[in-house]
Amino acid sequence: MTAIAQEREKQSLLQWIKKHGSAIASLGGLVFCIIFFTIGTGMKGESIWSGDKLSTLIGDVIVTALMAVGAVFIYSLGNMDVSIGKQVGLYSTLLVLIGNATGSLLLGILACIVIAVIIGIINGAAGELLHMYSVISSVVFMMVISGITTIIYSSVGSKNISLTGIDLSFFRSPVNMVIVLVIEYLVIGYFFYFTKFGKYARSIGANQTAAAQSGVNIIKYRVIPYIFLAFCLVTASLFQMGYTGAASDATGTGFEMNVMVSLILGGMPLKGGMKSRLSCAVIGALTFSLLAVGLPIIGVPTRMTFMIKAIIFLLVVLITCRQKNGPLPR
Amino acid sequence: MCHLGKNDDILYMDQGKKRYIHSTTDESLKSGTVQMEKEILFEAKHMRKEFGPTVALKDVDFTLRRGEIRGLVGENGSGKSTIMSIASGMQPATKGEMLYKGQPWKPGTMVEAQDAGISMILQEANTIPGVTVAQNIFSGHEAEFSRFGLISMPKMKKEAQKVLEHFGITHIKAGEMIDKYTFEDRKLVELVRCVTDQTEILVVDETTTALSLEGREILYKLIHKMADSGKGIVFVSHDMDEILEQCTDLTVLRDGEIIGHLTREEMDAPDAVKTIRYMMVGREIGDKYYREDYDTSHRDEVALELEDVSLGRIRHFNLKLHKGEIIGMGGLSGCGMHDIGRIAYGLEKLSGGRVVRNGQEIKTPLQAINNGIGYISKNRDTEALILNGPIQDNIVLPSIPALIKNTFISPRAEKKLSDREIDNYRIKCHGGKQYVNTLSGGNKQKVSFGKWTAKGSEVIIMDCPTRGVDIGVKQAMYSLIEEMKKQGRAILMISEELSELIGMADRLIIMKDFEVTHEVERSPGLKQTDLIEYMI
Repeated sequence: MTAIAQEREKQSLLQWIKKHGSAIASLGGLVFCIIFFTIGTGMKGESIWSGDKLSTLIGDVIVTALMAVGAVFIYSLGNMDVSIGKQVGLYSTLLVLIGNATGSLLLGILACIVIAVIIGIINGAAGELLHMYSVISSVVFMMVISGITTIIYSSVGSKNISLTGIDLSFFRSPVNMVIVLVIEYLVIGYFFYFTKFGKYARSIGANQTAAAQSGVNIIKYRVIPYIFLAFCLVTASLFQMGYTGAASDATGTGFEMNVMVSLILGGMPLKGGMKSRLSCAVIGALTFSLLAVGLPIIGVPTRMTFMIKAIIFLLVVLITCRQKNGPLPR
Repeated sequence: MCHLGKNDDILYMDQGKKRYIHSTTDESLKSGTVQMEKEILFEAKHMRKEFGPTVALKDVDFTLRRGEIRGLVGENGSGKSTIMSIASGMQPATKGEMLYKGQPWKPGTMVEAQDAGISMILQEANTIPGVTVAQNIFSGHEAEFSRFGLISMPKMKKEAQKVLEHFGITHIKAGEMIDKYTFEDRKLVELVRCVTDQTEILVVDETTTALSLEGREILYKLIHKMADSGKGIVFVSHDMDEILEQCTDLTVLRDGEIIGHLTREEMDAPDAVKTIRYMMVGREIGDKYYREDYDTSHRDEVALELEDVSLGRIRHFNLKLHKGEIIGMGGLSGCGMHDIGRIAYGLEKLSGGRVVRNGQEIKTPLQAINNGIGYISKNRDTEALILNGPIQDNIVLPSIPALIKNTFISPRAEKKLSDREIDNYRIKCHGGKQYVNTLSGGNKQKVSFGKWTAKGSEVIIMDCPTRGVDIGVKQAMYSLIEEMKKQGRAILMISEELSELIGMADRLIIMKDFEVTHEVERSPGLKQTDLIEYMI
């Protein structure tokens, strides 16, 4: 091989690495965590891949992953939804209350879907119609739902409610969790990659003006991703409530941050656009949960795990979100 | 005498006659013998730049001397912008070395280059929105107006106004928000920001197409003044007339290589334009450039109608565009012609009148597209294209509804459609997955054309369609527009280049101050001078 050919090959490789830097960093992070915790937990005489630990890991990852898969649609628009956690809390509460009243989950699921879709439509349309950042409307919903949840628990007279008389074993099986996640991933993946809904969402995130001039109905295709998210949130709520068989006024608190951190760890561009990938949701959620489950096993005190997670999060943000050029001075 | 060709063949122009010699070693010929006595300001040696598998520059040697206004011409993707973008710190070279004022030069950022005296004005807008003109001009230099950590805005505004007036720009007010000004005016603000007393080399990269007539005059005066005071100018443009009028020297590139240099005397030769075109394209362009026929006939059916349209200062505007007709709209930038294009596409909410196609009122771009109307925006990078997206996604975006089968969009069908347009326009890329922001200006424009030909639009509104496009592609686009006319498509061509309107349109409408001042049919005797009086 000539020197020029070698140099060219080196440059091509560098270009490829540069182009896929975010994906490599996120996948690399996951692989690193897997190797690190396999060795680390092994040295402590435990294995993160043992039956009970794996079950804990899947239980931890499932709710975040189910929410994050739907949230990819929102983030691809360049939007953010901070009402996710409170929504999951509300739907979990409704599932318990309606389940106890009717003896079935079906009516609760339908009610949650209707509410979630209505919230999604308002959340999606408000930003565009009222010319404000979409996150603002989600903050409003976060506060409103928080208020509703408080009212519900005040009227019940307890901070915890449990579902009785309904078999929830389906939602506690790790195999079922994985199957549902795969199904949700495939369904959302189909809409995200192979239909106009995903293509238009990514176009809007990349350049809304160009998308509008190319015939994309901005309001409509800003709203539809929220409807996909609504279904994902109800599914996540089912597993959240089903895993414990209960709900409380604190259910869902901070979930929106878990989703955001997972997506960023997974390599999702916060500005959305064409580089948005569905795999970010699963890679990120897995990395996030591995840290949550693995760090205590290797002996890191719980209070330190948050610090370590924060440092890793900061590192990923620094690697993936660097701005190449600043404004030019005079 | 001039010399062109590459590797073995050097074509001499000697007293108007072409002579070939065989030379691979005579570097003095390639680098321009007449220039020896002037001090070298910037030098690039064996410069190479690769973008993945695409080689943008191949072992290029380039020299700029004090007092030169060096024109750089070449087809889109020939590498002319790449050389100076490396020199001005926008991107690093893959290989090679640079010398600036005799010292090794390797800028890390554009800021570093600008502080050292190399400034580049880019083709697209580079101002900061949401702040004043003064804040744009002194961006990064706020400390000069700061006392005890507080910036004195009145002082900054006063100084900015002084700088603007120094450049001969009186209509832009330093205290106004930048967003209030047109694209052309923002370009002037950018110019003022870039050029300082420390500027030694000014790179003007296809900027003039984004400037108004007055703006161009300001720029021309500035570059000549700078050259007279011993600075170096690199002037990248597709406008041959402008290059021949303004430049002291010319370098021609093709496919990432320098093909030859021309001195001022050689640029004055009678067949200079033909020679340069040959050097740029590597083949005879031929005499056919615009339409050769003077047949203004078209079909009777009206393809698009603007009925008594009013918007802002545009009052009661009427237009009937027929099938198989090309209407050209000309005037100075800001005369209202660009607004007419936006109105016709449903982008503006009218205060009166309506836009009609096939009996249906057009109120939104979606309605326009569904009724077979396509629109190529003047603001290519911000409105027409998704820069941070693949070529394929850009081309197929308006055609997505046609590709859907039971909600499913086949990746194969998308690729087929995109590849067809990439082939049609000979877009220089290594596939539809390549991102648009890695393409040269002309190739980007080809993508925005491809969007609408892929869609099969019956009416196409083109606002400055050949802006930043080289002559080879222009020729191809003109023949494509002619072909569209023959197919019965209706074209509304809005342009600041009168020559292309005269060359292509069946009917010309000239606007001034938001009103139609003249309307004329295509004819062999029609000249630019006949129209200019209605524009100014």
